[in-house]
Amino acid sequence: MGRGWAGWLMLLAVLLAACTGSEPGTTESPTATRAPSPDATATATDTATTAAPTGEETPSPTQTAAGGGTLVVAISSDPGGLNPAITTSGGTHTASELLYNGLVDLGPDLEPIPELAESWDVEEEGALYRFHLRDDVTWHDGEPFTSADVKYSFEEVLLQLHSRTQASVGPSLESIETPDEQTVEFRFSQPYAPLLQQLNVTEAPIIPRHIYEGTDPLENPANNEPVGTGPFRFVSYTPDAEIVLERNPDYFEEGLPHLDEVIMRVIPDEGSQVLAFEAGEVGWLWGVPGPDQERLAADPTVEFLQTPVNPGGANCIMTVSFNLERPIMADLRVRQAIAHALNRDQFLERVLFGQGQVAAAPISSGIPWAHAEGLDMPANDPAEAERLLDEAGWQREGDGTRTAAGVEGVDDGTPLAFTFVHFPTFSAYGELLRAQLREVGMDVTLVPLEPPVFAEQVFTARDFDTNIISYCNATDPEIGVRRMYHSSNIGEVPFSNAAAYRNDEVDRLFDEAQRTIDLEQRGALYRQIQEIAVAELPYFWIVETVGTRAYRSSCSDFQPSGHFAKTASCEQ
Amino acid sequence: MAGSTPASAIADATDVAPVGRVGALGRAPRRRLLRRILQTPAGAAGVSLTLLVIVVGLLADLLAPTDPLVPAGPPLAPPSPAHLMGTDALGRDLLSGVVYGARTSLVVVFATGALVLLIGVTVGTVSGYRGGRVDDALMRVTEFFQVLPRFFLAIMAIALFGPGLDLLVLVLGLTSWATLARVVRAEVLSLSQREFVEAARASGASDTRIVVLEILPNALPAAVVYLGLLLAQVLLLEASLGFLGLGDPNLVSWGYLAGQAQRFLRVAWWLSFFPGVAIAFAVLGLNLLGDALTDVLGGRR
Amino acid sequence: MTGRYVGRRLLQVLPTVAGIVLVGFLLIHLAPGGPIIALAGDSGDEEYYAFMTAKFGLDRPLPEQLATYAGNVLRGDLGVSYIQGRPAIDVIAERLPATLLLAGTALVGSSVAGVALGAWAAARAHSIRDLAVTSAALVLYAAPVFWLGQLALLTLALRTGLFPVQGMTTAGGPETGLAWALDVARHLALPALVLASQEVAAVARLTRAGVLEELAADHVRTALAKGLSDRRVLVRHALRRALLPVVTVIGSRPGHLLAGTIVVEVVFGWPGLSRLLLTSVQTRDTPILLGIFLLVAATVVLANLVTDLVYGWLDPRIRYR
Repeated sequence: MGRGWAGWLMLLAVLLAACTGSEPGTTESPTATRAPSPDATATATDTATTAAPTGEETPSPTQTAAGGGTLVVAISSDPGGLNPAITTSGGTHTASELLYNGLVDLGPDLEPIPELAESWDVEEEGALYRFHLRDDVTWHDGEPFTSADVKYSFEEVLLQLHSRTQASVGPSLESIETPDEQTVEFRFSQPYAPLLQQLNVTEAPIIPRHIYEGTDPLENPANNEPVGTGPFRFVSYTPDAEIVLERNPDYFEEGLPHLDEVIMRVIPDEGSQVLAFEAGEVGWLWGVPGPDQERLAADPTVEFLQTPVNPGGANCIMTVSFNLERPIMADLRVRQAIAHALNRDQFLERVLFGQGQVAAAPISSGIPWAHAEGLDMPANDPAEAERLLDEAGWQREGDGTRTAAGVEGVDDGTPLAFTFVHFPTFSAYGELLRAQLREVGMDVTLVPLEPPVFAEQVFTARDFDTNIISYCNATDPEIGVRRMYHSSNIGEVPFSNAAAYRNDEVDRLFDEAQRTIDLEQRGALYRQIQEIAVAELPYFWIVETVGTRAYRSSCSDFQPSGHFAKTASCEQ
Repeated sequence: MAGSTPASAIADATDVAPVGRVGALGRAPRRRLLRRILQTPAGAAGVSLTLLVIVVGLLADLLAPTDPLVPAGPPLAPPSPAHLMGTDALGRDLLSGVVYGARTSLVVVFATGALVLLIGVTVGTVSGYRGGRVDDALMRVTEFFQVLPRFFLAIMAIALFGPGLDLLVLVLGLTSWATLARVVRAEVLSLSQREFVEAARASGASDTRIVVLEILPNALPAAVVYLGLLLAQVLLLEASLGFLGLGDPNLVSWGYLAGQAQRFLRVAWWLSFFPGVAIAFAVLGLNLLGDALTDVLGGRR
Repeated sequence: MTGRYVGRRLLQVLPTVAGIVLVGFLLIHLAPGGPIIALAGDSGDEEYYAFMTAKFGLDRPLPEQLATYAGNVLRGDLGVSYIQGRPAIDVIAERLPATLLLAGTALVGSSVAGVALGAWAAARAHSIRDLAVTSAALVLYAAPVFWLGQLALLTLALRTGLFPVQGMTTAGGPETGLAWALDVARHLALPALVLASQEVAAVARLTRAGVLEELAADHVRTALAKGLSDRRVLVRHALRRALLPVVTVIGSRPGHLLAGTIVVEVVFGWPGLSRLLLTSVQTRDTPILLGIFLLVAATVVLANLVTDLVYGWLDPRIRYR
């Protein structure tokens, strides 16, 4: 009569056999070697290495960096495709930027440095850019790279499908000429200052014309078997599981890359990514969830790299937008009260677990020449918030929600209640904001919406009172800041001027900054803009977010950019 | 419980046709119902657990130590005398969250139950009493609703339109009434041939009168027994949706709490543990109660 | 059970599945937001929107879009994923094996284990061991599957390291052959166990109750009186009849099981359909969404049909119209 029990046991036995039986065969070292490099100095696995922690500073490239090794990288979503030219999706860019190049790269201070273009001339006060391309670059399939690839990538792909490049470069670009195979000229209808900030692999990856021409770039099979010029080349792509890249032996930058292989592994949950990292299944994390940071930091074999640069956008500020078309939010005193009621340190501490910094100005500190110092940002002061609300006609009885008594455009007795629209991933911001504003008598209703619905509700229907958006300032205010304030950006385009802010002076200053080439002069113009913005508060800038990368100390020399593994190497 | 199929185990079965469900309950005196339920250990446990959830939900304001939405302590504090179930990442008291979560579950379960009863009883009664083409047509519709993939529809509807308790109840209600309608229909079908209905008809009573006064009161117990088991499933569904982040963000729910915990699994086990216990207890209570009702009311399989 | 009955039931399958997909289609198209916004990311201007909208035919009237879609589906074409630019059917087919492996293992494992456990408990009804099994089943049946997953992760994977934490394979691990199969099996164990646990509970409770009832029935008493061995009676007579409701339950589970699979895949990072479903909802990738919906609808409806047919075969007393 023991048949049921026996069956159950057998099932268990099979499962147990399956897991124990496989153990000898599957070591979990992320640095499993395929081709051991002769100059590897250590053979210890990463967990056995006991290098001292070096803190969070960017490791400087060293001469002693040994070559070889495999790096397993955790990515949080399936990229859906590996062509970074047709999308701004962070998932696609994370997984594919190592395969491609831009005309220029950006250095630590966002200065343009040569990549596919070895030099460039800026003429006609910034209306003509002439790039001289390297002549030693080949695509991964052996075809030579030429100026025709650049012209094709921009005209047929980037300016059609890459939404950021399309929106920023597109409107003022007149033509792209290729006088010869190694020269490309960009001609603008008027001086265009920020171009060099928009040509890296994130903003303008160059894709091969000989593979894409005459096809629909969105549906070309090469999107899943990419051919690029980048430091690594494609090996295999298993959707929702892993992407394997290998060293490009013909890479044009001398001696790079060092790693033999990069494997990207899809692990959607960030907590699970950490677990996989700790188990040695993964050797690089794009982000470390706050609560896990402390534990990882205590491990001497774990290194961190903090950077404001992300493949999806750089220098992002979590920003609360006020819908200035709504009577409640049209009153400056209410906006000031909200700003005073918010404890931004608590956001930094409890939502971001200290990763990042409280925003000190409307423009990110990651663009130092444009970021204004010493602005008079509203400080956390609940008493001042209550005073402003009293003054604005929002009366409070007891501890409850305030009600209107003589507020312009609002019926008396209306409660001070409003919506806060946010992506589901930003719900912690909403929950903390709701709690803090409740203390001064405001009733906030959270409306979490998936990105497409969010965009439609906020920018098309304009049905919201307040919201939070991660506005990425990118590498130049022209790319990521102008869209928030210029009145021409009020409309249906997502993530533009959410507040519906109009100020002729601000418009004029932005237009002037766009035509100004000299950085110092541009910086002065942006300072004026920021002073006006802080005084009028169409937005309130909460925290500047940074990405915290984590890796094992057996690896070194990573970069913060999308080409993060180009210079890296791991001990065998 | 020996000798009768645990009705809870088949509550979710979508095809009811070949098997008689919770069948005729008989007209046993219902006065001693509660006492008979309480006499079995399982029934007593079911009643107590269900009552516990209801009481906690109703008295949430009195029982919760703090406002569940406002930080009340240090973030991620483990269970301690100050915070019996610990705190979450924002420093909110988890015990308060679990207590208010009971209220959210109550609202969802009762509202969905009401909607299911309304649609299910109406369709079942009309179908069973009218018969003929009306019955055929209604049963086609019912069969369709029975095979609708409920969970997938709910995920899509809520993710597409944005979360809210009203939409949640609507989706759960609209996709859950079908089996109940068939239970009621079977009851009504058999009842309408009974003598007392024939007698009422002979005395010239109107159809409405017969249905409302004679048939419904006798058909309802079967519906209620089934409903208890159905609501256990609704509770689990609601928790799963909350876990996926599709619950109402302005109310604390157990599923939402457990979903938040996933990020902190390694550092804060309590965030996952306590909400899960609460859900399991509530579902267990409803299941036990449903089983006990079936037994006591003489349900056959 | 006649051929005519089977034919009639088969004929009902198509309109039912079509109806379910229609519900999904309307839901997606009536909802706010659209795939272009998802594609555009954090920028893109009106020109871009007009271009992409026309490209996907989203500027056509809804009935026309529906007719186009229906026509394409009948030709076996689920459309091209907006986000990935590849045929939706390919994208779905890539994820399907992982989900089938997980759900299938759980379904088969739980059916076998559930029936065995239920019969085992029935044979020693009201003993301590029976009580243990019955209570465990009761609790497992009430516990939400994501919670069981979290507990399993905490205790069996994190604390002890017995099982891998995430995914279906070890990165950089073996890619073929027996080593690969063992690697997958090792990753499969925990999610399958969690997913199966609830099904085991349901099936075991039902089997136990059914067997107990049958053991008390006349023909079984007769068989026992004829001197047949206990085991033969249990298997031949009681179990076979007791399986009737069990078949109904197992046959009704695919919808439920798929729902559970979604949640379990999230907890364990299993690379199946659920992740595709959730991201496609976020990005409004309609062809993918409708494709998954079609698949789920067809599975549930067909499972229903098979259940009824098996039921008729198991119990010749049932006569269908």
